[in-house]
Amino acid sequence: MKHIVVDPINRIEGHLRVEIKVDEATGKVEDALSSGTAWRGIELVLKGRDPRDAWLFAQRICGVCTTVHALGCLRAVEDALGIEIPKNANYIRNIIAASQMIHDHIVHFYHLHALDWVSPVAALKADPAATAALQNTVLEKYSLKFEGPVSFDTSAYAKDFPKATTAYFREIQNKIKAIVESGQLGIFAGHYWDHPDYNVLPPEAHLMAVSHYLNMLDRQRDLVYSHLVFGGKNPHPHYIVGGMPCSISMNDMNAPVNTERLALVGTSVNLGIDLVNNFYIPDLLAIGDLFVKAGYVDGGGLAGQRVLSFGDFPEEKYNGVANGDYFKNLLVNSSGVVENFGQGVAKATFYPLEGKDLTDPNVLAEGVEHSWYNYPEAGKDLHPWSGVTSPQYTGPKEGTKTNWKYLDETGKYSWIKTPKWNGKMAEVGPLAKYIVVYTKVRQGLIQQPTWAEKLIVDQIDAVSKLLNLPPETWMPTTVGRTAIRGLDAQLSAYINKYFFDKLINNIKAGDTTVANTAKWDPATWPKEAKGVGLHEAPRGGLSHWVTIKDGKIDNYQAIVPSTWNACPRDDKSGHGAYEASMMETKVKIAEKPLEILRVLHSFDPCLACATHLFDKEGKEITVVRTDPYL
Amino acid sequence: MEKRDTLWGLFQKKNISRRDFLKTCVALTSMMGLSTELLPQVIEAAEKKPLPPVIWLHGHECTGCDETFIRSQSPLASDLVLNMIALEYMDVLAATAGEQLEHHLEETMKQYSGQYLLIFEGAVPEAENGIYCMVGGKPIIETLKRVAKDAAAIIENGSCAAWGGIQAARPNPTKSVSVSDVISGKPIIKVPGCPPIPEVLTGTIMHYVLFGQLPPVDNQGRPKQFFGNRIHDTCYRRPFFDSGMFVEKFDDMASKAGWCLYKVGCRGPEAYNSCGNMRWWNGMSYPIQSGAPCVACAGKNFWDNDPFYERLPNIPMPNTIVNADKVGAVLAGVTTAGVVAHGIASYVQHKQHEAKAEKEQQGNDQNKPERGQNE
Repeated sequence: MKHIVVDPINRIEGHLRVEIKVDEATGKVEDALSSGTAWRGIELVLKGRDPRDAWLFAQRICGVCTTVHALGCLRAVEDALGIEIPKNANYIRNIIAASQMIHDHIVHFYHLHALDWVSPVAALKADPAATAALQNTVLEKYSLKFEGPVSFDTSAYAKDFPKATTAYFREIQNKIKAIVESGQLGIFAGHYWDHPDYNVLPPEAHLMAVSHYLNMLDRQRDLVYSHLVFGGKNPHPHYIVGGMPCSISMNDMNAPVNTERLALVGTSVNLGIDLVNNFYIPDLLAIGDLFVKAGYVDGGGLAGQRVLSFGDFPEEKYNGVANGDYFKNLLVNSSGVVENFGQGVAKATFYPLEGKDLTDPNVLAEGVEHSWYNYPEAGKDLHPWSGVTSPQYTGPKEGTKTNWKYLDETGKYSWIKTPKWNGKMAEVGPLAKYIVVYTKVRQGLIQQPTWAEKLIVDQIDAVSKLLNLPPETWMPTTVGRTAIRGLDAQLSAYINKYFFDKLINNIKAGDTTVANTAKWDPATWPKEAKGVGLHEAPRGGLSHWVTIKDGKIDNYQAIVPSTWNACPRDDKSGHGAYEASMMETKVKIAEKPLEILRVLHSFDPCLACATHLFDKEGKEITVVRTDPYL
Repeated sequence: MEKRDTLWGLFQKKNISRRDFLKTCVALTSMMGLSTELLPQVIEAAEKKPLPPVIWLHGHECTGCDETFIRSQSPLASDLVLNMIALEYMDVLAATAGEQLEHHLEETMKQYSGQYLLIFEGAVPEAENGIYCMVGGKPIIETLKRVAKDAAAIIENGSCAAWGGIQAARPNPTKSVSVSDVISGKPIIKVPGCPPIPEVLTGTIMHYVLFGQLPPVDNQGRPKQFFGNRIHDTCYRRPFFDSGMFVEKFDDMASKAGWCLYKVGCRGPEAYNSCGNMRWWNGMSYPIQSGAPCVACAGKNFWDNDPFYERLPNIPMPNTIVNADKVGAVLAGVTTAGVVAHGIASYVQHKQHEAKAEKEQQGNDQNKPERGQNE
């Protein structure tokens, strides 16, 4: 048995450490531990602040999935104060969220995940002419020809296609060669490029993928013009409680949004469709197909047992989340929990999760058994609205408090809490969302699917046909988790276009309102209020929980996707998603745990999100001098 | 040293002509905001200066400053990472992880001792010996001190590294501080912003690559070429301020017309940044252009200058205090005089601000790091 520590985990947001115990003879991972190794205390910082400012603070939980925590926070505050946002604000927020989804998924696949599958070193052996031929084959064989609804077709033809010439691939290959020969490998340095898994793909596939790594690095920025136009910047675009700050006018020269601004967003919306359809989907399915054919269908963990999702993209206005209205007109109604999808969709069990379920402490709660916190009543989990956190750092099992050797899997070992649904662990993410929608539609629980829900089912069926495997075999795996994220990017590209067209139509109908300021003044608020905001973020179901008292924030909690997935174990409910998936992954060479990096990256970990703290008891608040001119 | 390549060397390897190389130098000169007189220096720098190795560490942060880095259009992040710097350690983009990554950090520090640029992103939590941010099983504060020791220069990337940022906002549960609060005796520069404008961050790195030293800084240690002016003084909505034409509430007629956001909380009058002139993404927009009041995200401790929708305190003017309502009332009639009066007010305010900051620095900054060398 070999005890392997991987810290820091690379190509993620934040600070993550894992420890695994591997049986070297069989490659089986006997135990796996996932630890969030930092916390910043943003919820504590939020205490006592103006609820109208809260989204700015919450947004800084994460700059990779930028904007998603702002959205979760706004929805929570608006739920608490009973604020209904105007149609245009809903459309604009949906456009910002959909474009974020596309961007986040593309950057994850090409820049955070690709190097688990492809190697620049292997690309040196490729024949540039054969690579050009491969590129053509991949485009023909692995494209998914789906379309979304379009009411204004503003793109004459797909502008962005992969280059498929010998000269181009030779140029890229020469550059890689120059870097390798220089001895300064930069970001490619120090890795185990000799790992046998880098032989699964032919050299030409490596060269093609590395070229696209560079193409997408240069193009990703242009996917989120909507953040610039509607929110003024990216990362961290601006919003306001009650809607958006970007007033619309076709009569004023300095208006934040006019025809030219909308055209800019439209260009970016069209680009999203092109990049996903012509680069991401073909690359993803080509690589995935070869790995599945080579027998890589492990890494499932919790996915086949229990997944959870909240659903998103309200088509029209809603008047609350906790009251259930949010769920009534979702474009992607993935709300709910599905158990045992791994046994096939017919045998899977669906449980609803909406409205009053959200406010029931028996349904949603967090525990701290293995987290560096203390609860007032040992063993009693708490609902986020009454969440308490007092830190209790106990250090490692071996080593010192400031120099760890091994963490203590029998005690506390992470700054991440353990969220539970009905006392059980669940996996979240695009895969969870797809499993829930597929199950609901196939079992007839959704009688009339929206175009987006229908597209999800069609995508899953198309990929099952391509791989010649049933969904329950390929979906709850490392490859499946990664593949579904790509399908989700395609879905999001069309959702982006759908709400962009809705916005145009609504402006055309004469409605330019973007903010509801009727309750802007705190004097209009109730003395006490609480709310929940949901968002189906790129990494899965996100929930923000706020309580407001006397016009200030009294308590703030966020249960984010990576909390669900990266959480430490629970003695009753078992392992969280990261740990469970690592334990279902074979490791060939213990000292070079490429498979562990691959399965972890398949979740797209986001650790600053996952670790959070709020001390409800309220420590002494230091007054900071705020001279505005210094 | 022979392993480190020059920009000209790279052009030669790629068989790109001398003419194209010189054209690139001209483009770089204008991109850096430098006068054409400096072109020979740019050419010389690009011919001779070896590519600097870079170590990029993360403390308490949200990774938004890495995202801003890859959003840069001029230079493109790909050109920077593959051609202009040797990004030897950066866990967000690195192929490898864990022991192999940490081993490479040690090797890089040894091989390029005294030569590497350290970019630090995020705040440094000091509480309880740094246990609130552990990387590789050790507190990041220890790693920072160790890596900073033999760095040629340090960039504090983003408002967290430069000032402590959001986790340092009251009550600062982890006792987070800036890099220069714990590191001294090194050339160090602040590139604040939450996040910084992409081209401000990459422009600072680019300057270092081309000239081999950090760019000239202001009295707070920020590059003058990017933080020399208030957003208020470069804002396209400034004429509305001067004319007393204000947004009173979001989405009112004035919001649609794009009037001044001062009365709904805009921090433009105290924000030093390039949002007004460069704007975000090569002129595409900035928060004010999208109707959102500036929160001065590059300012020191801006998080505790809330609530953000309450307007700034009264504007100081020579010998009196006049608030925006009065400015509006007076200036509605006498616009030209108002512009002049406010121009003086801004200038005086700027001078007061600088004088105060300098005084403080002289008073208690004896152990502070050396600021940029071109001062």
